[in-house]
Amino acid sequence: MNRRILLIDDEEDIRMVLGVSLKDMGYDVLTAENGEAGLALFRKEGPPIVVTDIKMPDIDGLTLLRRIKHESPNTEVIMITGHGDMEAAIESLQQEATDFITKPIDIQTLENALTRVEENIASREKLKEYTENLEGLVLEKSIKLSEVEQVIQNDYTRDEFGVFQSRFRQIFNDVPFYLTVQDGDYRLTSTNRRFAAAFGDHVGRHCYEAFKRKDEPCRECPVRDTFQDGAYHQINTPLIAADGRTFEALVWTAPITDASGRITHVAVLTTEAADVLEVQEHLASLGLMLASVSHGIKGMLTGLDGGVYIMESGLNKERNDLIKEGLSIVKHTTSRIRKMVLDILLFAKERELTVRPVDPAELVRETAKTILPKARECGVEFITEADGSLSPCNLDPGFLRTALVNVIENAVEACLEDKTAKVHKVVFRVSQNPSWLIFRIQDDGKGMDRETKERMFDLFFSSKGGKGTGLGMYITDRIIRQHGGEIEVDSEPGRGTVIEIRIPRDLAADELESKNPEVEGPPALTYGRTPA
Amino acid sequence: MAKKILVIDDDPNIVTYLETLFQDHGYETAAAVDGNEALAALAAGKPDLITLDLDMPESYGTQFYRRIRKDEKYGNIPIIVISGVPRADFSIKKAVATVHKPFDREELMEIVRGAIGAAA
Repeated sequence: MNRRILLIDDEEDIRMVLGVSLKDMGYDVLTAENGEAGLALFRKEGPPIVVTDIKMPDIDGLTLLRRIKHESPNTEVIMITGHGDMEAAIESLQQEATDFITKPIDIQTLENALTRVEENIASREKLKEYTENLEGLVLEKSIKLSEVEQVIQNDYTRDEFGVFQSRFRQIFNDVPFYLTVQDGDYRLTSTNRRFAAAFGDHVGRHCYEAFKRKDEPCRECPVRDTFQDGAYHQINTPLIAADGRTFEALVWTAPITDASGRITHVAVLTTEAADVLEVQEHLASLGLMLASVSHGIKGMLTGLDGGVYIMESGLNKERNDLIKEGLSIVKHTTSRIRKMVLDILLFAKERELTVRPVDPAELVRETAKTILPKARECGVEFITEADGSLSPCNLDPGFLRTALVNVIENAVEACLEDKTAKVHKVVFRVSQNPSWLIFRIQDDGKGMDRETKERMFDLFFSSKGGKGTGLGMYITDRIIRQHGGEIEVDSEPGRGTVIEIRIPRDLAADELESKNPEVEGPPALTYGRTPA
Repeated sequence: MAKKILVIDDDPNIVTYLETLFQDHGYETAAAVDGNEALAALAAGKPDLITLDLDMPESYGTQFYRRIRKDEKYGNIPIIVISGVPRADFSIKKAVATVHKPFDREELMEIVRGAIGAAA
C-alpha cells in the first residue's frame, strides 16, 4: 500500500507540479490550498507525512506545524521555505519539522527529505517492534517468575529467586538510558542507577519535579497519554539534571499492565538528544555549506568566463576599453575565488591557535599591506593609526590578520556600495589599555540594517548575494572568541559602521585553550537546540 | 531594427558579459540588476527576450517571473533562466530553457536563436 502524504500550498502551480512528482515517487497525495483546509484534512485522514508551505494567507506554516506535532507527534512534516529564509527554516526545525526545502523547489532535495522521513518512520517502527519484543520477553520472564514462585511456594530454596531478582535489577540499572516507572499520580515508583546518578534520588516524588523541577504536570505529557490510550508515546523536551544542567532529551513511554490488562504504571525511557542532534546539525551545516559554496563558485566561474570573453571580444574589435574591462573582471573574480577558497580552507581547518608575542604595530602594517591594493582600486581612502607606545601581545598573528582583513574588506565594500558621491574613507586604528588590545575599524559606507547587524556573524549569512560565502564574519567571530576577545558593532544604514575588536593583553598561551573549550571539535552552528 | 534582449542578473560582471555576448551577435541589449530595475527596463521598451538569473538575493527572480507571467502586455515574452541553483527548472517550468552557470556560450546562443531568431 502506498504511503499517504498531505501537500499544503496556496499556490496551485506548486500543488500540481509537486503532486505529480510525489505520485511519481509512489505516494498517494492529498492536497489542500490553505492551512485551515490542510488541518481539517489532516484530522480527517491522518496521513503520516505532511509537506507544507510556510507562508500561507490564513494559518502560517509554523503554527500548522505546531498543531500537527501536538495532535500527532509522530507525523513527519517537511516545510517549504522561501529562498534564503534560514530563520524560518531553523525555527521549523526547532519546532520538530523533519526537514525543510527551499523555493525554488529542487526535486532532488525533496527526495532527500523524503528519504529522511522514510528512515524516521522505519526506525520508529523498528523501535516499536523492539519494544513489543521486549514485552514478549517480559511475558516470558513473568512466566518463569511464576514458575520460580511456584518453586518457592513448593518450599524449595529461596536463593534462586534472589539470584533472578538481582539479575533483573542489574539489567534495569545498567541499560544505557534513564529508566523510570511512574504510577497514575506521576509518582516515580522506581528509577535505575543511571537516573539516580544524573537526577538524584526521587523515588516517591512526582516525575515533573524530578525531571523538570516543576510544581505541576507538564502540558505535554507522554506518561498521561500512555495512561489514556495504552500506546507508546515519544517527545523531545528539555530536562534539568541534579547539577542544574539543562539538556534536550528524547523520552519514550510504554504501558505496564496487570494481569487483567489494566494499565497500572508507565515505563519511561529517557536519553540525551545531544548526540543525535549534534550529528544532525553537523550534517545540516555541511549541506548548507555545499549549497552556498557551489552556488557562489558557479557565479564566479561564469564571471571568469565573461571576463575572458570580453577581453577576446575587445581584442577582435581592437577596442582597448573592452580589453581593460574584461581584464578588470578577470582580476576581480580571481580575487573573489581566492578569497572563497581561503575561507573554505580556514573553515575546514583544525583551528588551534599558534600564539606568540607580537608587536601590534607590525600586525597593523601587515594587515594594511593586504588591504591597500583593494582600497586603492576601489578609490577608498585607507588610513591606519597606531598609538605611540604599543607593547607586544600574545596572539596568533596569522589568524588575527585574517579576522582583521575580513572586517576591513567588508568596510571597503560597504563604501563602494554607498551610492552617494562622496569620497569614502576607512580608518583602521589600534590602541591599548591595561587590559585590552583594541582594533577599531570605522567606515563611512552604506551601513547595515538591523537584520544584517543581528545576523552578520551567523554561518552562511551574507548580505552580498552570490558574491559572499557567508563564512568570512563567522570565521572572524570565531577567531576573536578563540583569543578570548570580543567584537562590538555599531552601525546604521547611511551612517557607516564602527567595529571594535578587543583582545585581552595578558593571556598566557596555555590559558587560551582552556578558556575556550567550545571552539574545539567540529564546527558547531550558532543556532539549534540547547547544547549539552 | 535589431531584436532586443533584456539581461537581468545581480552580478554586474555577468550582466556585462551577457550584454557583450549578445551585442557581438548583433542584438540590442538592456540590463537590470534587480526586480525594480527590471520593471523599469520593461517600461522603457518591450524586449524580444529576457534572460533571468534565478538565484538573486531575496529570490526576486522568481517573484519577477511570476509577476511578468501574469502580465497581459509582457506575459508572452520568452524567458531564458540562467541559474546557479541546481535544477532550478522546476519552479519556472514555462521558461524557454534553463541554462546552468557556468554556461556554454554556443549553447546559449543557439537557444536564443531558437527562441527569437537571428538579431535582425
